[in-house]
Amino acid sequence: MQPAFPAVAALVFLPFLAAALVPLVYRALGERTAYFGAAVAAVCFALVASQYGARGAVGVEWIPTLGASLEFYVDGLALLIGFLASGIGVLIFVYSASYMHGEPDLPRYYAALLAFMGAMLGVAFAGDLIALFVFWELTSLSSYVLIGYHRREPRSRYAARKALLITVAGGLFMLVGFLALHSVSGTFDLAAMLAEPAAVRGELRSAGLLLPVIALVGVGAAAKSAQVPLHVWLPDAMEAPTPVSAFLHSATMVKAGVYLVGRFRPLLGTEEWMLLFVALGLVTMTVAAMLAVAATDTKQLLAYSTASHLGLIVAGFGFTAVAGSAAATYGGEAGAFHVLNHALFKAPLFLVAGILAHQAGTRSIDELGGLWRDLPVVAAVTVVAALGMAGIPPFNGFYSKELLFEASYDAAVHLGGAAWLLPAVAVFGSIFTVLYSLRFLLLFFGEKPEALGEVPRPPAAMLAPAVLLGGLVLVVSVDPDLAATAIVNAVFAGVGGEGVVHVGLPTAITPPVLMSATAIALGLVAFPYYDRLGDGIGGVASGPLSANWYYDEAVAGLNDLGVSLTAITQTGLLRTYATWTLGATSALVLAGYVATGVSLPAVSGVSVSAAAVVVLLVAVLGAFAVARAPSHVAGVLTLSILGFVVAVFYVLAAAPDLALTQLVVETLVLVIFLLVLDRLPAYYGEVMSRRAVRDAGLALVVGGTVAVTVLLATATRPERGIASYFVENAVPAGGGGNVVNVILVDFRAFDTMGEISVIGMAALSVLTLIAMRGRGESQR
Amino acid sequence: MTTVIARTATRITVPIALVTAVALLIQGHNLPGGGFIAGVLTAASLALVYVVFGLEELATMLGIRDGGRFGHGPITYYRATFGLGLALAAVSGLVPIAFGGPFLEQTYWVLHGVPLYGEVEVASALAFDLGVYLTVVGALLEIVSVVGAE
Repeated sequence: MQPAFPAVAALVFLPFLAAALVPLVYRALGERTAYFGAAVAAVCFALVASQYGARGAVGVEWIPTLGASLEFYVDGLALLIGFLASGIGVLIFVYSASYMHGEPDLPRYYAALLAFMGAMLGVAFAGDLIALFVFWELTSLSSYVLIGYHRREPRSRYAARKALLITVAGGLFMLVGFLALHSVSGTFDLAAMLAEPAAVRGELRSAGLLLPVIALVGVGAAAKSAQVPLHVWLPDAMEAPTPVSAFLHSATMVKAGVYLVGRFRPLLGTEEWMLLFVALGLVTMTVAAMLAVAATDTKQLLAYSTASHLGLIVAGFGFTAVAGSAAATYGGEAGAFHVLNHALFKAPLFLVAGILAHQAGTRSIDELGGLWRDLPVVAAVTVVAALGMAGIPPFNGFYSKELLFEASYDAAVHLGGAAWLLPAVAVFGSIFTVLYSLRFLLLFFGEKPEALGEVPRPPAAMLAPAVLLGGLVLVVSVDPDLAATAIVNAVFAGVGGEGVVHVGLPTAITPPVLMSATAIALGLVAFPYYDRLGDGIGGVASGPLSANWYYDEAVAGLNDLGVSLTAITQTGLLRTYATWTLGATSALVLAGYVATGVSLPAVSGVSVSAAAVVVLLVAVLGAFAVARAPSHVAGVLTLSILGFVVAVFYVLAAAPDLALTQLVVETLVLVIFLLVLDRLPAYYGEVMSRRAVRDAGLALVVGGTVAVTVLLATATRPERGIASYFVENAVPAGGGGNVVNVILVDFRAFDTMGEISVIGMAALSVLTLIAMRGRGESQR
Repeated sequence: MTTVIARTATRITVPIALVTAVALLIQGHNLPGGGFIAGVLTAASLALVYVVFGLEELATMLGIRDGGRFGHGPITYYRATFGLGLALAAVSGLVPIAFGGPFLEQTYWVLHGVPLYGEVEVASALAFDLGVYLTVVGALLEIVSVVGAE
């Protein structure tokens, strides 16, 4: 089935439109704006559902001459991400209605949340690399607003800035990768590239760009999906309100990274790809699971667990064709299935963590326990979701993890040697997954701490979303084949797989089954030593051994660098600003000329009339007089000699309009100077010779740059210039004899429009800078 | 600055300069001139009034002394002037769209039998040029007054 353009465009842009309307809606509905958001999300969900089963690209042309168009690409993977973003979005909005009750700044919250959802839908359905990049960065921006929701809290601001810096920086790497891809394939069109993956791969390889593109796209995905060592922003992002965390961890943001890996897998899936992503994924899966064991906060535990499970998905997508092995198939199935499973169990677990924080007033793991009596329904949801997270059969996480085990085992069998590390690391990481899942489960069992007191039941709006998601985990657990047929098969096809996904409980003892059994058994054995394990890991992962250390040092270093650079370049003295601005401009311009290798045109046959020579000589003398002027007034007056002489030169060059303009502008500038001069000291201070030499040098450089620019700009004149067109058409088309004016108001009126807007803006800037200077200060 | 010579010279030159500015604006399409030049000339001559007679006198001359309903003094008027100028330029660009042309398309009409002049050419660009003129005058006067008020 071909996707329908109106539906896809609507589902991507509707959330943004709604986000813009939120301030108005909030005025009418107040806190019930949450249900407006839920309704929008529900409409998006319905629109995604209407495209169920579609596959292909649709779009409209925007600027055909530039090849710019609005393209969407729909397939199983895009639809799954779309279902998750909009479906979980509905539940998040409903949950927010209760969780965010009484919080300030709700319009900002709901608008950002809607934009977040829209950006994620845009990432999922973008059919063009540039659009993908734009939506990608929009998810970073909107998550920045959401993570930094408590903007008066330093920790919240720190977390928001961290997430923004890391994910946006990763996005820039990805953009460079896209541009490299474009330089080879000649298109940004995703569908066109996916139609001929082998050809694109071949061209990339022959251009020597295959590995760089894989690495650059990988950095982008790793930053977004919190892969080690770029995972550091994710645990801090728990500063966001819990509904945001649940959304961010299950359906948006971090899923964008694995989406990217899945999306490019058919295109770039080579040996290099496998090496990079399997290693990245398995290391992340293990390291993040270990860090989760060291966590002391419920949301922190879940955050590390998200990074770990994303590592599983990345590793799954990382497996590509190995001769004689089915590792690629198993890996693709594992990744595709686990995108769904992880969203289904992680979202309710975060909602549960939110309920605990909201009802019990704490997120500390040590202070919670034995809550099943107070919160039986929540406990039931947690049991289902946490066992899914642990990968205990028959819960949903088991099936996808089993597929990853099969992939790693199969690859090891066929590759041999060091490849046996893959199944070993996978099992090792899974032990910790079992450990922290059980620890989270124990929040509801065992002994209840005295200090906890009576914990009230959560309101229905908070409970219902968690129960619904828990129910979905049960459905997938009981009948994984149903989920496979309905959703995962199409996703699998989207990530380059062939055939259908077969999942189910194992019927025979195979090595992968033994791997699962080992992981679960060792997890249970090690559980009594949980606290000691956690302390040990927490002790090791500090200082230069933790990725956080590098982030903090780098940001602090950049800050210091910025401060010291500012001290040099921005001293508050106009002279310094002029020096740096003019010097930097000249350097950039000259570097541009050198880089493009232009050569100065030969100047020949210069013919200047005697009158012009005299006038120009006067101008040169005037320029020297300005430099020698003993006072401000004398300087300004001699400067205007220069200006008026230039006007005379224009007259000689038969340009009356320019001469007129030059004259009146010169007069006005003189008047303004005289106004200002009143306030300045009458005489210059002593001139230091060192400074004078520096200024003279700078003046020579600037003058030289301008001279070179003029020579170059006037040399490259086209054969038949546009000037003759203007001259010929001024009277018949523009109805004016003054060509300059006709150009200004008719042929190039758009330019003039821009210029007068600039004049208006300049006036406003002067007004705000000078007249309103005092106001900003008093507000602080 | 406010010597008798300066004041007398200003009294004589400013009206001439203002008339010249209007002439430059109107004839600009066919002869040297145009909205930008006319605007700068107007602003320069009004700035001369300001330098010689002061801000108050300039406001009185323009009839905006009390600051009107905005209550922020003459600067508000200058701002309104360039706002109006921008709006005029934009609207004059939008009008052709209503007739199916592209944004900012210009045309002209030749009127016959006008008393005194006989044949007169009216260019739609004049409206756009007037917008340019108002923008330039408003913006420059605002800059001069704000800087001068310091």
